[in-house]
Amino acid sequence: MYVYDTIDKSLLNQRVAEFRDQVRRRLDGELTEDQFKPLRLMNGLYLQLHAYMLRVAIPYGALSSDQMRKLAYIAETYDRGYGHFTTRQNIQYNWIELSTAPDLLFDLSEIDLHAIQTSGNCIRNVTADPYAGAAADEVDDARVWSEIIRQWSTFHPEFSYLPRKFKFAVTGADADRAAIKFHDIGLKIIRSDTGELGFEVYVGGGQGRTPIVAPLINSFLPAKDLLRYLDAVLRIYNLHGRRDNIYKARIKILVKSLGVDSFTSQVDAEFERLDPALFVVEADEINRIRDMFSVPYLQADEDVKARLEERIEESPQMRRWSDSNTHAHKTPGYAIVTISLKPIGGIPGDATAEQMYAIADLADRFSLGEVRVTYTQNLVLPHVHQADLFVLWSELKRLDLATPNIGLATDIIACPGLDYCSLANARSIPISQRISERFSDLESQHDIGPLDIRISGCINACGHHHAGHIGILGVDKRGEERYQLTLGGQGNGESAVGKIVGPGFDEDGIVDAVETVISTYLSVRSTGELFSQTLERTGHAPFKERLYDSN
Amino acid sequence: MTVINIRGENVDQTWRDVEVAEETRSLDSVILSFASLKEHIETLDQKSLSRIGVRLTVNDEIGEIADHARHIGLIDLVFPNFKDGRPFSTAVTVRRDYGFSGDLRASGDILPDQALFLARCGFSTIVVPVQFPVKQFKTSLGAYTIAYQAAVDSNVSQVRDLRRSAVEVVAE
Ligand code: HEM
Ligand code: SF4
Repeated sequence: MYVYDTIDKSLLNQRVAEFRDQVRRRLDGELTEDQFKPLRLMNGLYLQLHAYMLRVAIPYGALSSDQMRKLAYIAETYDRGYGHFTTRQNIQYNWIELSTAPDLLFDLSEIDLHAIQTSGNCIRNVTADPYAGAAADEVDDARVWSEIIRQWSTFHPEFSYLPRKFKFAVTGADADRAAIKFHDIGLKIIRSDTGELGFEVYVGGGQGRTPIVAPLINSFLPAKDLLRYLDAVLRIYNLHGRRDNIYKARIKILVKSLGVDSFTSQVDAEFERLDPALFVVEADEINRIRDMFSVPYLQADEDVKARLEERIEESPQMRRWSDSNTHAHKTPGYAIVTISLKPIGGIPGDATAEQMYAIADLADRFSLGEVRVTYTQNLVLPHVHQADLFVLWSELKRLDLATPNIGLATDIIACPGLDYCSLANARSIPISQRISERFSDLESQHDIGPLDIRISGCINACGHHHAGHIGILGVDKRGEERYQLTLGGQGNGESAVGKIVGPGFDEDGIVDAVETVISTYLSVRSTGELFSQTLERTGHAPFKERLYDSN
Repeated sequence: MTVINIRGENVDQTWRDVEVAEETRSLDSVILSFASLKEHIETLDQKSLSRIGVRLTVNDEIGEIADHARHIGLIDLVFPNFKDGRPFSTAVTVRRDYGFSGDLRASGDILPDQALFLARCGFSTIVVPVQFPVKQFKTSLGAYTIAYQAAVDSNVSQVRDLRRSAVEVVAE
């Protein structure tokens, strides 16, 4: 884990002091709400329907067990006993008081946590592959480069008042578990033919009302040029991104209107102008960061698998969990375990303080004290010895955290929607709860296979509905909550934007419609065919027929 | 009008605004609009240019006078509103690409909390908006003592420099 040294800490302390002063000026009336807004936003403080919401950064989704404990403490002390893990690998607290927010940030800072740049038109918290450092298919640890980007972008003097927010995602693995092409900049770590480390650079992806899969603008950026190149992209965007229309202000619109080639050549020209010396990250600094992420040597254990199989034979329940909630680790004998925050009928991504404390303890016992947050709103224990899986599973079950549904129909992503969000057209959470209950039968979920259902309460798409195999979008139709259905999106591995099937539904109708889509799939799929493959083969037609041809 | 430097000290106001300049040769310490300066720029020698200032809105393209920029006495970049961050990038470009070493001034709608970023991007003076006390600008300029990234005010990452010297101390 990256641990702050005295220098990182002194900067963080200065931030806490600065924010305390800003809040005081607001409470004393020295700042108007309009003047205070961009300042509080840069500290992750939103005004929602009922109260302030605070978004705490979890850089690249990686937490230590002690940090998890602190998040639990914050939930208990400043909120109503729970927190909400989000698709940006952050945690949000929904019931915060402005007057105590500075104390909250002070408490967080004691354990290297903060809310810096979790909102506002700046470079946001960097997200990354939640399996970084543990996955078998990895070229390099995405956290190392994410941390380098974090430092470079923190309090960036030039790029803190951009046309719009700016999001990075980094993966070091072959499989994309960070949806990098749905970000303003997506980076994939690769090696050239000669073995040099570098990046594929994707720019201008995003969701919202204009969903775009980011185009590749550089197929090999040497690692040494990373910050210089990012600086060039950001300067072109800061100077030329649109500021007259908030809906056209993201970099994706600039890339689209200039055209990929013209945008890329502007970036290249700016890159050439820049003095490389300004952007060097010395090898000793990279090594310092890399060392902090390295875990103690794990002894490969080739036999444990057989022993585990014996235990699993005795428990079909355990088998189901092990099938869906564990993933191959780079060291034989270890597993990456996903903790489901999607209990049947629950609120996606919510965790209580008790659960967070318990997960921290489990991380200490079984996973070298590490926890990760996934953008699908689950948690991960990245380094679990397979011999511990049975005990871990029993403990998680006791905590209601062992729902064996990762990647399946009830592993639903949902935004806060009308229950909390002032921009919402419709509720998201109750819809996800009803769908979850409808498909609660585990047998049938496993039969249906991998399926991403994703729900957003408005076109801002915080719930990634564009990228769901089945996407649900809340719309307002003459004051009524309605839901549009999209099919064919992809956010895992491949990236694609789903298409609207037909007219929208009401609350009951949308739950039935999801069931109709799934039963249609089951009746038309060929053997072994995944939902996305069937859809690709058949197109919308059979689904449409069943959905709209009921009389 | 209060103008401060990046240490938060008041500076004497010698520059004055001229809307349209008919004759520039005799002008001293005036700030012209960009259009007006462009009109006269070919007739000005380096010495007269050094006594002239220019005010740029976010829609003016400084690149149009790139060859002359470094001889100008003062460049004033106006923030149309504090959320519009273009002048930060223009400042960096003016300092780094055009080698401008004169007075780079920030004016318009600026928040005190932006003062340090202005200084880091190469601005040398700030016109303090009337609604804010100078004291708040001073506080902001001192809010952070080091920075992660190089900028116009520093060619290196001070954070990494400090880290390295800390390692050297331990090594001794
Ligand atoms: C409740 C308060 C929230 C507000 C006011 C809010 C606001 C917005 C807005 C306005 C956009 C559209 C930005 C654009 O297209 O330019 C957006 C996008 C997004 N938000 Fe939220 N959001 C909220 C909560 C959340 C939550 C809880 C999550 C995570 C679960 C989230 C994650 C995202 C993501 C992933 C996107 C789309 C990706 C993109 O194109 O940037 N937001 N949000
Ligand atoms: S998608 Fe819309 S409703 Fe949902 S959280 Fe984002 S802004 Fe709010």
